[in-house]
Amino acid sequence: MSTAREFKFFVLIFGLVLVLVSTFLRKGERIKGVAFFVGWIVPGAGHFLLGKWKKGLFFFLLLGATYLFGMWIAGFRPVSYDDNPFYFVGQYGSGITLLIAKLRGAEKAIVRPAIHPSWFDPGLLYVCVVGLLNLVVMMNTLDLKVEAPSSAPAPAGASEGKPADAPKPATAVPAPAAPPPAPEKAT
Amino acid sequence: MSGLSYLVLFFPIVLVILLVLEACRSDDPKKIAKRALANFGVLTAVLVLGGAFVYVINRWF
Repeated sequence: MSTAREFKFFVLIFGLVLVLVSTFLRKGERIKGVAFFVGWIVPGAGHFLLGKWKKGLFFFLLLGATYLFGMWIAGFRPVSYDDNPFYFVGQYGSGITLLIAKLRGAEKAIVRPAIHPSWFDPGLLYVCVVGLLNLVVMMNTLDLKVEAPSSAPAPAGASEGKPADAPKPATAVPAPAAPPPAPEKAT
Repeated sequence: MSGLSYLVLFFPIVLVILLVLEACRSDDPKKIAKRALANFGVLTAVLVLGGAFVYVINRWF
């Protein structure tokens, strides 16, 4: 695939997703659209942006380690179109892997000399799976709950300088009246 | 290194996939690990049983 056609293809896909997400997301949830695209650039960054930094770090480390392992098997060369067209497309599920692939050039991947050749295809699969899993992680950012913006009406306690999640003060609800004493039985 | 050694690569990639999928569903690390391992066990069992079945069919039938 030529570089110019490849670039047009990705610009088209990227623009299409951008239009779809910005159209269908409600106004108060635009941050999710931003997190969606930031999550494409770096795995886990979308969760980080939405405040779920532990989960974002988890995704980043897990997917990063898997990607590096796959690249190590494939001699730190990106999956080329000639190696496998499906794996080639799959590795573009993340912007950072796309950047690495572009920086490394279009060299055909080779298995490391110390590794049995049967590991080559699974190595390419590792690189591809990271890209596909990052698409799942990106979709997950659209499903996260985002805290309400500050323009939303504040709860009653907040206007008095109290935190919103403070326990409610005890209300002056009268306790149920004790039942009247039973009349003594006439003996 | 044997030609079949690539089967070792099954374990990490399946664990990674299951961990990511479960992490998308839940926030509790214990629940994520527990569900991922349970699903991993089921998938491995299906793979082993299926492989054994194919082996038996090819060996004696």
